[in-house]
Amino acid sequence: MKLSKYTKFREEKFGGVLFETRSEKVFTLNPTAAALVSEIGTGADEQGIIERLKSRFDDHDGAIEREAIEFIAELKQKGLIED
Amino acid sequence: MSGEASAAVATGSGDLGAPLYVAWQLTNECNLACLHCIEESGPGKAFRDELGPPETFRIVDQLAAQGVPYLSLSGGEPMVHPFFFELVERVCTAGIELKIETNGHFLEPSTCERLQSLGVKAVQVSLDGASRETYNRMRVRGDFDRAVGGIRALAAAGVPIEINYSPTRFNAHEIGAAVDLAHELGAYSFYTGRTMYTGNAVKTWRAIAPKEEQYSSFFEVLHAKSAEYRGRMRVYFHELGLLEELRYRLRHPAALLIVLPNGLVKLINALPFVCGDLRRESLEEVWARFQRAWHDPRVAQFVEDLAADPRKTAALHRWVYLQ
Repeated sequence: MKLSKYTKFREEKFGGVLFETRSEKVFTLNPTAAALVSEIGTGADEQGIIERLKSRFDDHDGAIEREAIEFIAELKQKGLIED
Repeated sequence: MSGEASAAVATGSGDLGAPLYVAWQLTNECNLACLHCIEESGPGKAFRDELGPPETFRIVDQLAAQGVPYLSLSGGEPMVHPFFFELVERVCTAGIELKIETNGHFLEPSTCERLQSLGVKAVQVSLDGASRETYNRMRVRGDFDRAVGGIRALAAAGVPIEINYSPTRFNAHEIGAAVDLAHELGAYSFYTGRTMYTGNAVKTWRAIAPKEEQYSSFFEVLHAKSAEYRGRMRVYFHELGLLEELRYRLRHPAALLIVLPNGLVKLINALPFVCGDLRRESLEEVWARFQRAWHDPRVAQFVEDLAADPRKTAALHRWVYLQ
């Protein structure tokens, strides 16, 4: 996975921002979402990203994995990332 | 885990570490002398103190270092700037998405191929009319066929195209045909809104200002065209008046810096307030000043004074420095 051609990501103190520069839409991200997008920016695959997030954020109840899958689907649906 | 579609909220609270968008008016010089120009640009109108190459490139380097994702270059006419292509190359190499806002008169096929190879995100061409009669009347010294030829050259080179349209008394009726023409020329976006009473428009207002009934029809057509082209071309238009827009911005400042040709930084184009100077200050310092400046009581006062006297926008070029 990777960010779409016109999507830019920047880390911020509160997490991060995604900026889709064609539509000029901005998405503010919390720290977990920013960590996920940062991993996508490295070109990592979905399962690898989820595994790293689970270990980084202590996924004791499985919530991180569920939310990561949903969030990746949302990013794809909005055209912000692509395979 | 969440993403929210609003930078404005984050910006208003001062959370962002740097701007997300910088709109840089590279020069005030222009080959045209448009009746409605909000910048008072024209032939021989370059500022005496416009930034030179070292200062300009230093600013680009700072934008890149601070992670500013998006920059637009406008003017005046940015393509008459003496080191325009050097700057485009510097910006694109730095990984900043770049949009160029031009009148389209310098878009030769080889130029467009060069822009494409440098990776320019989009070129926005002003096309205020669907016929040479209206366009040439509004864009003094301009030529409709040359602008359209430039847009066709962009399309041939594979450069993404945006079209900008300023309505006046004598071209507002062509808006539907203009949207159709934009699509036929290969644009992916079309932008328009109300023409502002400032710059050259102050002198020409009686001849160019659309009547309210014209605006009603204008926006009615735009609503229909927006629906007609959904999924094929975005039709953006700002129906709100300037006062409503500024009141909104007071509550939600955009993460946008307006850089003037001499390096001064304005809060927003439609206000006279200057909050920094990139010739003398770092981007970081100017960004911090920008955040504070929106809370200066003179800014809110100016906006409210506009409610009583909308013609105060005539003075937007008499800059007010906020310390």
